[in-house]
Amino acid sequence: MSSYLGIASALSLIAGLMWPLQAAAVAWVVAAWVEGSSEHSAVALLVFAAAALLRAVLDYCAGGYLFKAADITITRERSALIQREARARSAHSSAEIAALMVQKLPLLQPWITRYYIAMVRVAVIPLVLAALCFWLSWVAALILLIAGPLIPVFMVLVGMAAESASRKQMDEIGSMNAMLMERLSAMLDIRLLGAVDRALGDFSERAEGLRLKTMAVLRIAFLSSAVLELFSAIGVAMLAVFVGFTLLGAINFGTWGNTLGLAEGLFILLIAPEFFQPLRDLAAAWHDRAAGLSVASELEDLDAAERVAFVGSGNAAQPLEGPLSIDLAAAVAALPGKALALPDLALSAGQSLALMGPSGAGKSTTLACIAGLLPLKEGRLMVCGQALSDSNADAWRARIALIPQTPQFPDQSLAEWLDPEGRGLDPWPALRMAEAEAVVTGLADALQTRLGESGGGVSGGEARRLMIARAILSGRELIIADEPTADLDPESAAAVIRALLRLQEQGHSLLVATHDPALAAAMDRAIEVAP
Amino acid sequence: MKALISVIALLVASAPKTLLRGAVLSVLTLLMGIALLGLSGWFITATAMAGIAGIGIAFDVFRPSAGVRFLALGRTAARYGERVLTHDATLRALAALRVMLLRRQAQQGAKVLASLRSEAVLTRIVSDVDALDGLLLRLLLPGIAAVLTHLAVFLALAWLVTWSLATAVLLGYVPLALIILYCLARRTQSPSAELELQQQSLRRALIDTIRHRHSLILSAGLAEREAELLALDAQTRHSAQALDRQERGAGLLLSLLVAGVSVLALFFGERLVNAGGTGPALAAIGVFVALALAEALPPLRRGFADFGRMYGAAQRIAGGAARSAETALKAPSHVLNSALLELEVSSTTWRLEAGDSLAITGSSGSGKTSLMLQIAGLLDSEGITVLGRPPQQWPDSELRRIVCMVPQRSALIAGTIRENLQLAQDASDEALWAALQVVALDQVIAERGGLDARLGEGGAGLSGGQARRLALARAILKRPQLLLLDEPSEGLDAETADRVLRGIRAALPDTAIVANLHRFVDHPIFERHLAL
Repeated sequence: MSSYLGIASALSLIAGLMWPLQAAAVAWVVAAWVEGSSEHSAVALLVFAAAALLRAVLDYCAGGYLFKAADITITRERSALIQREARARSAHSSAEIAALMVQKLPLLQPWITRYYIAMVRVAVIPLVLAALCFWLSWVAALILLIAGPLIPVFMVLVGMAAESASRKQMDEIGSMNAMLMERLSAMLDIRLLGAVDRALGDFSERAEGLRLKTMAVLRIAFLSSAVLELFSAIGVAMLAVFVGFTLLGAINFGTWGNTLGLAEGLFILLIAPEFFQPLRDLAAAWHDRAAGLSVASELEDLDAAERVAFVGSGNAAQPLEGPLSIDLAAAVAALPGKALALPDLALSAGQSLALMGPSGAGKSTTLACIAGLLPLKEGRLMVCGQALSDSNADAWRARIALIPQTPQFPDQSLAEWLDPEGRGLDPWPALRMAEAEAVVTGLADALQTRLGESGGGVSGGEARRLMIARAILSGRELIIADEPTADLDPESAAAVIRALLRLQEQGHSLLVATHDPALAAAMDRAIEVAP
Repeated sequence: MKALISVIALLVASAPKTLLRGAVLSVLTLLMGIALLGLSGWFITATAMAGIAGIGIAFDVFRPSAGVRFLALGRTAARYGERVLTHDATLRALAALRVMLLRRQAQQGAKVLASLRSEAVLTRIVSDVDALDGLLLRLLLPGIAAVLTHLAVFLALAWLVTWSLATAVLLGYVPLALIILYCLARRTQSPSAELELQQQSLRRALIDTIRHRHSLILSAGLAEREAELLALDAQTRHSAQALDRQERGAGLLLSLLVAGVSVLALFFGERLVNAGGTGPALAAIGVFVALALAEALPPLRRGFADFGRMYGAAQRIAGGAARSAETALKAPSHVLNSALLELEVSSTTWRLEAGDSLAITGSSGSGKTSLMLQIAGLLDSEGITVLGRPPQQWPDSELRRIVCMVPQRSALIAGTIRENLQLAQDASDEALWAALQVVALDQVIAERGGLDARLGEGGAGLSGGQARRLALARAILKRPQLLLLDEPSEGLDAETADRVLRGIRAALPDTAIVANLHRFVDHPIFERHLAL
């Protein structure tokens, strides 16, 4: 990436240095008009056009390299995010990670393509142009250096103001959007309460308040960029007046003893605006810098976040050998930033066990540890007679089917979802066993339905029965279910319990976490998990 | 295009005066910058000629140099004013756009309203609104300013120099620049749309991966999923690159255009000077003005490169005909002799009058919630009348005065308890406390610091059952004639549920209550039962 940036900087600087050439050509043509000797102006026009073409092409190419440099950075960060979040979770929500990756990461691009290159140009081009002026007239160079007083001082001034302005504006839009999202997500309630007009009035009022506050800051912030504009305009004006008076003969100093000709005068006038242009570009790109920096600091936060990786690698493996058994003793789970003691438990092939206890006691954590989804900090976990470790965790998991607490349907067809490994199984026997046959036939596209994010189209109990069908279809011996009857009406809960018991009859082992006394009673044993 | 124009109209209407003044100042800023360079060029050339002719003393230096100083200061002042005014107008427009969006969404049916809880839908809407934020500041204002500036420059050049030079500059810039920008806008449209779709799927896929991480690990599908995500990411970058190439290509053409027009001005200037009709100083004005006009172009390049994104966003946000139910329907003048609610379910008719109560039962998926949304007029229905009229034929505001529904998953907003309770209407503190007492929440709220205690985003800070009761209290304050409760006892223990149900009945003796229940079906406040 740094080589791309280097090439881009070089190209962009050469492009910037084409302008003196173009300015000289224009000055030469116009001066020739006054002298009445315009036979060579075709050559000058050609030089002007050729330099302009070169400049445009160089800028185009520099832009391409800058894009590539930015692209490499964004790709690197994105793949890091993807791999890290899938492998070891932090406490950030999936929506936050997604927003960072999809919406915010691309903000690094203008930081690199606009701000970075403006920095490079501002460090070189004004100095070169001032030196060219100095060669013709020290007064002209002095005017430029006074008008652009010690460029770094200038930049600090502009930078501070522009930064506060752009941050203010980003905040403003941020809080307005947060407000918008909240009102939108509450819109069903607002509508049902008949409060639409009132909510809109309230929204407008708050937006108006935000606007007044923001404008107060912006008015001051814009003043400082007006200073930059003022200096650049005054610089050009002073140069024009100085050159004009020199040409009239009213001023006789500042030109190394030679008299300044029209061509030299016009040349100075033409390069003056370009002296200030990099500064103005930099001020304009400050917004991109602020946005880029805020993304960078979010990335750093994420880097520093505490994470806990799962046991094993997550790759496909042959199922672990030996009769199924679990033995968990004196174990403590390692959660991000804390540790949680787990209950002792033992389970052998064909048995069923319920974990009971208030929410927060560690039921779900226990299930996750047994599946190797969370590591143990201390204690013992034996599975099929071996201690669970990175080397056998994938093989152990090949014997487990998990039914998570919240129904989760990724964005794929029901058929694909039921048979994730694409083994071409017939799903209907499993659906029948889970009492989910009618659920599927009731859907408009049956097995081709895409249930999507919220599981739209099926109720909570139906979703649970579909997940049980999926577990049956996986053919795995140990079924781990987290609160399979929560939020279900009694009939639906009974159907879920029947389906689970049918699984046990077929030789599966069951491990469930639940609040539901009916489900706990249906299991062989129940263990109370103390908080 | 219609959608985009309607968004523009809305944005402009939100602050027409400020916007007009801002536009005038942007033109003035551009013109003064151009005049500064033109006048300076003329001044230098003219002074050189006077110097050569030896009439330097007689040359009036004061008016031109005063002009140069005036333009330098004027430009700065105009630029400052322009920035303040256009940002002010943009902030107003931002608010107007969001209010319009909220209003449109509020008129949608139950399905759309429920989808607004999905985080993906919300982010999409917000990203669309963000895209449209640039419409004024990056596209419309610079576009108008560029066109007006070119016209003004044309007239000035024609008056100062000659018609032919003025025409050459105008015809050199305007048609070609329009073609370049038009092509840029067209060519970015499809990569913009693709990028938008790819970003949505990348986003969804990442959220899927994180949420279903456990399942993926168990089915050994993690590596495969990572590869899929990286492939999606590569697609988005491919589209982004296509967009970037288009924008840079347009930039290349625009800078060549500036060079071409400048050569044209030099060429015409030389012919004028050689023909003898125009002095070199005046001809120089044409050259300097042609160079300075370039300043109007770069802002447009960025604006037009975003055109595709803005266009797509406008289609989604303002596309399609808005449902203007309010205008089409008038409140009926007589609704005599009709039951408050009439329900026809499997050929049995249920009539409810003031003070009646009905419990609806049925297994999950039997359509309890849909029936309730139909009564509330958010889903199309048959066989339901409220005061003699089908709900969807009532003007929305009238229906809301009669019917109030508390959905199963109620949303609270960030803010104080008071703000949450007063979402629908103002009420005295006594009334607020009374409502809280009805739902057995008064003690909880008092312990948390009273009505001015703040809740976090989405009502964070209350447990599920407490949030539910706060939503019930909000509905009680409305004192509707017909109250629809979807699973009011969900998340409440038996004792609290009993208190809340009795409390609501006692607080609203004249209200007809319909509730969807799967627990406490036999609670004494329900006189009748309907099993679906």
